[in-house]
Amino acid sequence: MKILIIEDEEGLRESIEEYFTEAGNICETAANYQVGLSKVNLYRYDCILLDITMPDGSGMNILKNIKENNYPDGVLIISAKNSLDDRLDGLNLGADDYLVKPFHLSELKARVTAIIRRKTFGGSNQLLFNEIAIDLLSKEVKVGKQPVKLTRKEYALLLYFLANKGKVVSKNAIAEHLWGDGIDMANNFDFIYSHIKNVRKKLMEAGCGDYIQAAYGMGYKFTDQ
Amino acid sequence: MKLLAKYNRVNLITTIVVMLITGIIYYQAISWILTSQNDKDLVVEEQEVFDYVKLNNHLPQTFESDDQQITFTSAPMGSVKREFINTIYFKKLDSDKPQKHRHKHEDEYEAGRGLISSVVVGDKYYKIQIVESKVETEDLIRLIFIITICVIALLLITLVFTNRLILNRLWRPFYNIMKELKLFNIADVQDIPSVETTTDEFRELNNAVVDMAGKAKYDYNTLKTFTENASHELLTPIAVINSKLDTLIQTENFSQQQSKLLNDLYGAVSRLNRLNQSLLLLVKIENRLLHEQQPINLKDLAEEMIGQFEEIFQDKDIQLSYTLEDKEITASRYLVEIMLSNLITNAIRHNYRGGSINIILTDYSLIIQNTGESMALQPEKIFTRFHKSSKSEGSGLGLTICHQICESYNYTLTYSFWNSHHTFTIAF
Repeated sequence: MKILIIEDEEGLRESIEEYFTEAGNICETAANYQVGLSKVNLYRYDCILLDITMPDGSGMNILKNIKENNYPDGVLIISAKNSLDDRLDGLNLGADDYLVKPFHLSELKARVTAIIRRKTFGGSNQLLFNEIAIDLLSKEVKVGKQPVKLTRKEYALLLYFLANKGKVVSKNAIAEHLWGDGIDMANNFDFIYSHIKNVRKKLMEAGCGDYIQAAYGMGYKFTDQ
Repeated sequence: MKLLAKYNRVNLITTIVVMLITGIIYYQAISWILTSQNDKDLVVEEQEVFDYVKLNNHLPQTFESDDQQITFTSAPMGSVKREFINTIYFKKLDSDKPQKHRHKHEDEYEAGRGLISSVVVGDKYYKIQIVESKVETEDLIRLIFIITICVIALLLITLVFTNRLILNRLWRPFYNIMKELKLFNIADVQDIPSVETTTDEFRELNNAVVDMAGKAKYDYNTLKTFTENASHELLTPIAVINSKLDTLIQTENFSQQQSKLLNDLYGAVSRLNRLNQSLLLLVKIENRLLHEQQPINLKDLAEEMIGQFEEIFQDKDIQLSYTLEDKEITASRYLVEIMLSNLITNAIRHNYRGGSINIILTDYSLIIQNTGESMALQPEKIFTRFHKSSKSEGSGLGLTICHQICESYNYTLTYSFWNSHHTFTIAF
């Protein structure tokens, strides 16, 4: 997939770029409004990560420009403004999603993956990873031909892992993804452990390989390597 | 004591004292005038006796009139000194004569004024005692006194009433200013209205109050804006740290010590983030920036929240029991979610393994009870910012936020400790 990151904060831009750069992905960056605007008008991207507040212009204008020209690019707004009005403004203008700073890169990846999936396959597709097949519409998970019964949270967790496959996902990121950032349980993430244990057990009982690895007590990694 | 009461008290006391003193002086003056009138009568009578003696060379016949008695007694030459005396007038009841004081049926003594004098008839020396009843005088004095008392009483009553009227009217601007001061809320957008008054002092007071309130509000707003801006500015560096950490853990081969350090960093950053978000949220609630309201079925929302926390209840072995009635409120869904989430999170966090949580929703209140430490919390402190127990890993703002949310919807949030259950009650 081809991604454009329009973000004036260098540290954040680099991190995102690094996280998204992998085999098969092309990441381009724009450090300010002007560069962002010209890139948007020159090339097409699968998804544009758009910062709203930039010194030389508002990301909202870039969004308007994309929509006026009927570019099909997916747009995900990343903003420090966490008010409902801003969120609604962004979504009303045609953004696909809205993520508030600060966020976990894994969360961003999951959101971008979801946007691209919706764009490319019209939202009705099977998600495949080795022997795991997920029907995104009916939310059914199969290992080979064997259906796996997952709870809502376990299903969300599996999708999250698949979007971030090969990456170490921190426990904080998982907790915030599944329980919302209002969860505020500080460093007590024991309940995540039992959750992941359940998913792994269910998948393995259905004949799936063990893809979930604990990573140094900091998080988990979903990988087949 | 009210100003009016105080003023009236001082006023009344001075008026009464002054009235009493003038009353005494008045009484003395009148009685002096009347006594000298009596004395004049007595001198006239004496003169009549002298004239009679001169003309007839014998003593006049003593007679008795209504209010005058003359007695002659022989006395040694030169033994009598002429003087006026206060004496007793002995009044005989005369039944044939029409009496002035009909109710007096017996002989009686009345106050009298007498003149002792002497007269020489031939070679005989007589002492003359002329006594005049003072009863008329005293009646007069009494009448005057009564009238005076009535006037004083009337004066006092009118004074009290006019004072009350005038004071109430005069002080009305003052009370209006007081009322405004009591209603003053630093977080309110409205300014203190200036009170209409023509009194210079009150106008000054009012101006001072309006100025002070304006300044307090300005300072408060500056501080609030600062908090908001500071929190906002913090968001970007936190986002950078967060993303760098996410990137860092992608690199392989951490020692156990390194991963522990990273874990602690993650924890600290997420705490910093939550703290920052809480501060921003508080500013928003106080600024009434989250005004979008919608009808919310609290029962459904509570059930949803309980579902959210299901795994955590299980993980901590906490027994959850709840009875929820249908209850619809109009509020911001976002805020109510935060409030419920905060309260339930607290109930979990301050619980022990195998403890219990009760949630009761009725038409008029939402109660969240949990087991925990066997000591009651300090109800006056728990809703203040950054107050938390030493063991708590929260931001110390959760309950403050709940309190602010409740306040902005006119609900009351109270804490009580009963039967070893910490209980938070939201009364709608």
